[in-house]
Amino acid sequence: MADAHAAEPPGRGEQDTAGLAGSEPDPRFTFANERTFLAWSRTALALVVAGLAIVQLLPPFPGVPLGRHVLGVPLIVLGAVIAIASYLEWVRSQRALRLGQPLPRSILPGVLAGTVACVAVAAGIVLLLSALR
Amino acid sequence: MARTWHQGAEGAQDADPEDADPGLARERTALAWTRTAISVAAVGGAILKSHPVPGAIVLAMSPVVWVLGRIPGRSAPGTAKPERLLAITVTIVVVCCVALALSFTITHGPGIR
Repeated sequence: MADAHAAEPPGRGEQDTAGLAGSEPDPRFTFANERTFLAWSRTALALVVAGLAIVQLLPPFPGVPLGRHVLGVPLIVLGAVIAIASYLEWVRSQRALRLGQPLPRSILPGVLAGTVACVAVAAGIVLLLSALR
Repeated sequence: MARTWHQGAEGAQDADPEDADPGLARERTALAWTRTAISVAAVGGAILKSHPVPGAIVLAMSPVVWVLGRIPGRSAPGTAKPERLLAITVTIVVVCCVALALSFTITHGPGIR
């Protein structure tokens, strides 16, 4: 196994499972791309936990019957969106690495920041509504 | 960039420790997989509190994730394996669906009142 990899000439990448073009990149780049994907996956899982905790553990907001769902469900959905999008970005980045192209720009930070900001605003509104009641 | 497929001390003797030992990148990645597995376990534990059965299922996914992370240590280093990562994505989406289903069930668990 190890000998086969040691003898592998540069540029040989035709046997990749997905039949991708280009050549196998430096393994460190592949590892780094994989770690980025894993980091986004953990972010997604943390969002799911946060959303679940909001819905299941918080006491109901007085006067705002669906307040907990308004805050928690978007976080859970965002977790699923980030999980899928991070996989697609991993595929895109891996393709760019193989072809030696610049890495594509990631939309994930923007999506995450935008949704979290919206949930924060919604949380403020829900709190105000329940306090004013 | 040195194309070093070896692991450990048999690598090239460059000034950059990363060049000398690409196993460091592998190590970091293995740790990242471990963190991800712990995150899955944390989600499972959180669900377990109010819903034991789905919680136990999610908790049981944690060692599976950990094992998925051990696979690159045995096969070609740095080779892209979309199936493993796709498995993580599918796992998280399933967890999200479980969480959404639980969100719309009325809980009489030990929630704070």
